[in-house]
Amino acid sequence: MPDLIEIAKGLLESKEVSFIIGYTKDRFGRVKPYIAKSVEDANNLMFDHHSIHNLAVYLTRLKIPENGKVGIVAKSCDIKAIIALIQENQIKREQVYIIGMNCSGVVTHSTDEWKKENIQIKCKYCADKSPMLYDAVAGTAEPFEQPDDTQAVLMQKLEAMSSAERWDFWAKEFEKCIKCYACRQVCPMCYCEQCIAEKNQPQWITTSPTPAGNFSWNIIKAFHMAGRCVGCHECERACPMGIPLTLLTRKMGMVAGKEFNYRHGMAIDQPTLVGSYNFNDNEDFIK
Amino acid sequence: MKEFIINTDEIANLISSLPADKWDILAPAKDGKSFDYILSSDKPIINSEAPPSKISFKEYFFPKSETLFYYKREANEISLTEPKFAEKKLLVLAAKPCDAASLPILSKVFNWDYKDEFFNKRVNNSVIIGLSCAYSDESCFCTSVGLDRNNTKGSDIFLTPFNDKQYVLSVVSDKGDSFVKEFLPNLTEFTGTKETKEFIDNKPFDYKKTKDWIAANFENKIWAETGEVCIGCAQCAFVCPTCHCFDIVDENCDLNCGRRIKNWDACQFGVFTKHASGHNPRNSQEKRYRQRVSHKFDYYYEKFGEVLCTGCGRCTRGCPAGIDIGEIVFSISNQ
Repeated sequence: MPDLIEIAKGLLESKEVSFIIGYTKDRFGRVKPYIAKSVEDANNLMFDHHSIHNLAVYLTRLKIPENGKVGIVAKSCDIKAIIALIQENQIKREQVYIIGMNCSGVVTHSTDEWKKENIQIKCKYCADKSPMLYDAVAGTAEPFEQPDDTQAVLMQKLEAMSSAERWDFWAKEFEKCIKCYACRQVCPMCYCEQCIAEKNQPQWITTSPTPAGNFSWNIIKAFHMAGRCVGCHECERACPMGIPLTLLTRKMGMVAGKEFNYRHGMAIDQPTLVGSYNFNDNEDFIK
Repeated sequence: MKEFIINTDEIANLISSLPADKWDILAPAKDGKSFDYILSSDKPIINSEAPPSKISFKEYFFPKSETLFYYKREANEISLTEPKFAEKKLLVLAAKPCDAASLPILSKVFNWDYKDEFFNKRVNNSVIIGLSCAYSDESCFCTSVGLDRNNTKGSDIFLTPFNDKQYVLSVVSDKGDSFVKEFLPNLTEFTGTKETKEFIDNKPFDYKKTKDWIAANFENKIWAETGEVCIGCAQCAFVCPTCHCFDIVDENCDLNCGRRIKNWDACQFGVFTKHASGHNPRNSQEKRYRQRVSHKFDYYYEKFGEVLCTGCGRCTRGCPAGIDIGEIVFSISNQ
């Protein structure tokens, strides 16, 4: 298996890519996103259990040259976001060189120790530990002790609630929201040049971090993820207030799977769920 | 400075004896995420080894959303009503030096030209009990911005752990003195010597030199390198004890009534500087990140003679993109 650094050096030396979006360690050993622009920079690249960030977000945040190509280091959950961006016509397949990483799971927060209790819940139900779309593959996927899926337990609890109880649950969670929009900024699928939260004529979302404003923001953000969320859990990781946002997105993903047999970000030529119509679509939810 | 000995039972007694109709008590929340009100029956957590809460206590003095006034139109007459302001006093227990120090810093900006009566009322109605800090991690750098583990800036009363279950209580301000006289009249005076853990700053910088470098390097690759990684959220600004930008908006309840509100805002948002014309002077994350560092370590220093940072490290610990402001300022100071 070729080494990540060797692959990166080759790409930068041959100028096949203009830069590589990857991970590096700072001088305290904390892993952070890093843009490697030269062969020397490539020596700083790394990948381990602490490579938690979904770097696909940078594919729309950074300027990719019109006919150019950039490299990206990606785990399978990040690759789903890259595929989704291609499906949604935000980037072209030929603009990215994907260095797919065989993944052995990641921790929840970058400074967490690698142990069972700290492993992200998404790794528990991740069925795709090896890259599904790539130009090169690096790393080895080691089996690891699976975390307990505490989220599934909570989801069952929520499903068993009456709608009034569920409302109260979310009212309490959304009350914490400070409208920092970290959930939006970190989300690879939130690439709108102007977010609906910033529109004021008409104003759809009250900007105040008050119960009404927080409800409208969080619910609209969740709606916009229906059939589009790839399940990278970055929104929840980024939230400074600890709002369990992925309870909503994971549930919607399950509905898309059950009702339409659809998973976003699995194949670049597959029409998107919300962008296509099929006569066989289940309609029994229309009452 | 008057010093007394206080034990944990006496602190618990103080909490339960403060009349609940006159006092709210704020202490670090059990989950470590924020500060939270505690009841008089609660046993407060006083832990000098705890990391700083995820979000500072700023929102209790400068709320994330605050109504300035209500407006109403009746038969072409417009009337304004002021919001009701709770006159309750606030006791903050176990504030870290990097939390307490933010109040005098915020106070300068809220009293510079216009006196912000909302902020001032809250500060005047509060008593801050600071707690000596025994925590440090890679994100902390309080000693580089003129503070330290035992710094009493912003505290009215300061606690330093002494023996097991005992603290040395130092009276710092007149407000603290009146509070001790009224609620803790029977404490024994302390005459010994306190010992505290030394703070090792792993990215020391001289904030006085940093200022000059920033002023001279408006164009520098350091801004581009950070800006390209920054995702442009406001986590850093909103968890920060000293960031104080706000946006004023009107929210209508119907065609004839509404309220004017002051909400937290942040310079990392693209819309922060966007003009009505569509022009945006800070049209890239590079420029917005430069603004954040420049305001904290150059512009504020220029105007008020100190930096707009207490070195608490919250912005770094929570940054979704792993950006460490201390590391950036450290590398600037080594240029």
